[in-house]
Amino acid sequence: MRIALSFGVFLLFTCEAPVRAAEPDALTIAKKCDTALKGKTQHGTASMTVHTPEWQRTLDMVFWYDYPDEDFVRITGPAKDAGTGTLRLGSNMWTWLPSVERVIKIPPSLMLQPWMGSDFTNDDLVKESSLPTDYTHRIDGETTEDGDVCYRLIATPKPNAAVVWGKLVLLIRKTDYLPRREEFYDDRGALAKTLYFDQIRRTGDRNYPMRWRMVPQNKPGHETTLSFSSLEFDRPVPASVFTRQNLERHF
Amino acid sequence: MAQIELIGVSKTYRNHVAVRALGDVNLSITRGEFAAAVGPSGSGKTTLLNLIGAIDMPDNGVIRIAGLEVTSTAPGRLAEFRLRHLGFVFQSFNLFPVLSVLENLEFVPALRGTPKRERVERAEGLLADVGMIELRNKRPDELSGGQQQRVAVLRAILSEPDVVLADEPTANLDSENAALLLDMMERLNRERAITFLFSTHDPAVMNRARRLVRLKDGRIIADETRES
Amino acid sequence: MLFWQMAWRNVWRYRRRSLLTVLTIALGLSFDILMRAIGDGYHEQMVDNSVRAGIGHMEIHRSGYQRDPALLKTLPDLPLLERLVPQTPHLRGYSFRVLGDGLASTAENSSGVRIIGIDPGAERSVTTINRAVIAGKFLDDRMSRPALIGERLSQSLGARLNDKIVLMVQAADGSMGAQLFRVAGIFRSGSPDLDRGVVYLLRKDAQSLFSLGDGVSEAALLLDSSQSVAQARQFLGSRLASARVEVLPWYVVEPFLQQFIELDDAFFYIIVLILFIVISVGILNTVMMSVFERVREFGVMMALGTRPRQVVRLVMQESAVLALVGAVVGAVLGSASTILFAYTGIDLSSYAAGASVLGITTTVMRPTLTIRNLISSDLSVVLVVLLVALYPAFKAAALRPVEAIRHV
Repeated sequence: MRIALSFGVFLLFTCEAPVRAAEPDALTIAKKCDTALKGKTQHGTASMTVHTPEWQRTLDMVFWYDYPDEDFVRITGPAKDAGTGTLRLGSNMWTWLPSVERVIKIPPSLMLQPWMGSDFTNDDLVKESSLPTDYTHRIDGETTEDGDVCYRLIATPKPNAAVVWGKLVLLIRKTDYLPRREEFYDDRGALAKTLYFDQIRRTGDRNYPMRWRMVPQNKPGHETTLSFSSLEFDRPVPASVFTRQNLERHF
Repeated sequence: MAQIELIGVSKTYRNHVAVRALGDVNLSITRGEFAAAVGPSGSGKTTLLNLIGAIDMPDNGVIRIAGLEVTSTAPGRLAEFRLRHLGFVFQSFNLFPVLSVLENLEFVPALRGTPKRERVERAEGLLADVGMIELRNKRPDELSGGQQQRVAVLRAILSEPDVVLADEPTANLDSENAALLLDMMERLNRERAITFLFSTHDPAVMNRARRLVRLKDGRIIADETRES
Repeated sequence: MLFWQMAWRNVWRYRRRSLLTVLTIALGLSFDILMRAIGDGYHEQMVDNSVRAGIGHMEIHRSGYQRDPALLKTLPDLPLLERLVPQTPHLRGYSFRVLGDGLASTAENSSGVRIIGIDPGAERSVTTINRAVIAGKFLDDRMSRPALIGERLSQSLGARLNDKIVLMVQAADGSMGAQLFRVAGIFRSGSPDLDRGVVYLLRKDAQSLFSLGDGVSEAALLLDSSQSVAQARQFLGSRLASARVEVLPWYVVEPFLQQFIELDDAFFYIIVLILFIVISVGILNTVMMSVFERVREFGVMMALGTRPRQVVRLVMQESAVLALVGAVVGAVLGSASTILFAYTGIDLSSYAAGASVLGITTTVMRPTLTIRNLISSDLSVVLVVLLVALYPAFKAAALRPVEAIRHV
């Protein structure tokens, strides 16, 4: 009898350890997701298609990101918009307008304005806020999204974080911590928009969702799709890329 | 048939002290009489006139005037009754100071709805009849006491009441004016068969009255009819 | 008729007291009339200022624009509107405008702005912005890509006369539109919102910037006075019923102003009410006294056969005489003083700072007399007097003849 008991206790201990090792905590999940999406640097090309009930446009662009503080985007097509560029250094953002050959500074008050008329805001694109550092996290069970078993991560902004959302809900793949869906809630708790990640492919050294779809909640007929054509990670990016001179260079 | 009838009428005033003004009075007056209620002050003569005049109600008893039992008539209908059947002459301040003599005479017919032209005609006719037509546009404060009282009598009879009640009408008049007043009232009484009932302690009036009802302490102690 | 004569004479029987009462009524009434006129006068001016600062007496947009403005919601049926608007009754001017939002930038700074594309000639007939220009010139069709900006915007952008600014907008087709404009003029309107957040462009330049083609966002109309709004609205509403537009009066476009006026009026009514209560006390006293002094007379009247309700009527008739005489005198006094002040104006220059908060930029205020107000003031006063007189009237009717006659 005593042997059976001791054996049972022993089993309990040995079995517990692997179980604990298999389930990361919420913060870890958030960090891994953030890293999976961003890496240290990025360089690639993408095209963004904006759908509204009245019109539809596609912009082609090339971009460099050096997280967390620097990014550079140049529009390469169509011709009307080609040459437009956006540079972010820290919390400052500038845009180069080739039609008037001027650089204009984007004031912080306009960070919520749509970027180039899309459903992504300036803020979305520069991703100045960081999921791991500006939010507190907890796991709210698991769910399946489109065949992938995902953690359901609830991220609540920390009190003095410069973040406009009341809450974020991310569905993060258990296998490689890539997000499948991100829901943005305003500070009254209403869903404002949803970002879907799909077309997950191997690119460079990792898996990556090659298509992002932003769908606003209260604007029927509006959505923006960002499709990456090429993408490489963690290559060093020359510092000269992230400069005003680079921004103002004739393209 | 009696025009005025009182049966078992009594009235007590309750102010600070209860005063019995009339106690168990029975009286009957026929049409066309020229009668006076006499007695010292407090004897109840004014109360008697007020009750007959339907401006006050007895505590007990029945009063009938010109066929109407006023004691069982609703108070709201009494004003109408007085308008049509009774005339009043008070001791003083009878006339409305803002109205001329003619207009004062028009007052009661106007209340009765008589049209203007007819009112004026009758009033002027009456004034002319008694030789007072030249007073017609004067205000009461331009008349002597005697003139005012005579106008008051004219007003009282203008709408042809059944009974005219006059409470001490000569009290404020000198003997000459008192005589003139009585002359007029007598004449009207004779010519138009209107019953006149006075309350008075003026001997001149008492002499002219054809019937004297003596009161003392709220009771009728004597009732004499004189042949003239 | 006899009773009216009696009532009239009874009133003047107590000449001095009645005159005093009439005077009280008249003064109260003329105060009411004058105050309403002053209130109406400066409300009218506030509305006028707002209207002439930009919103006009009426605005026409595509249906749904007011609730949810959008660049693409341009005015439909333009030919119809261009034909119809000039025929609006009481019209003094109209202007078709382009409205949009964008970013104004200089090397130093950027600022979100409202962009208004105007036709300078037409705009002059509607708003007074051309008079607010403190540097440079108002827009002119002959200029090349001119911009008219507010003083505060000029300061925050560091954009002075003849400097270039970039206007970046999201155009109607979704693309980003950006163009350079030259600061042709700087204005100071006194309204912080305008001075800080508005850029005026030539309409054709705005249409080009926003890729609107020939489209416009709104038509603004100026009428001869805000009293004409109802008529103009009726005219346009009946003829535009089939069009897909909304015809909005100024108080729908800017409800705050109307609410302020209504609040102000409410305060005013309270003051007048208090005044009337005070006057009523005086009238009550007068009528009570006149009844009390005639108790014996009422007694005689009732003995003679006057019914209680006729007594009430007589007292009410006397009060009506007081009320009507007071009303006439008061109306004359009130109108005369109002007209006098309307002629000379009430000089507010020492209160200019406070007045500008209320939106009044002129310093001389003129009261406005309306027949409707005159009549309603008169009626109110007469009503108050009659109401007050009811109490003594019923008291008189309740007298008992027997006791009344005895009354000394």
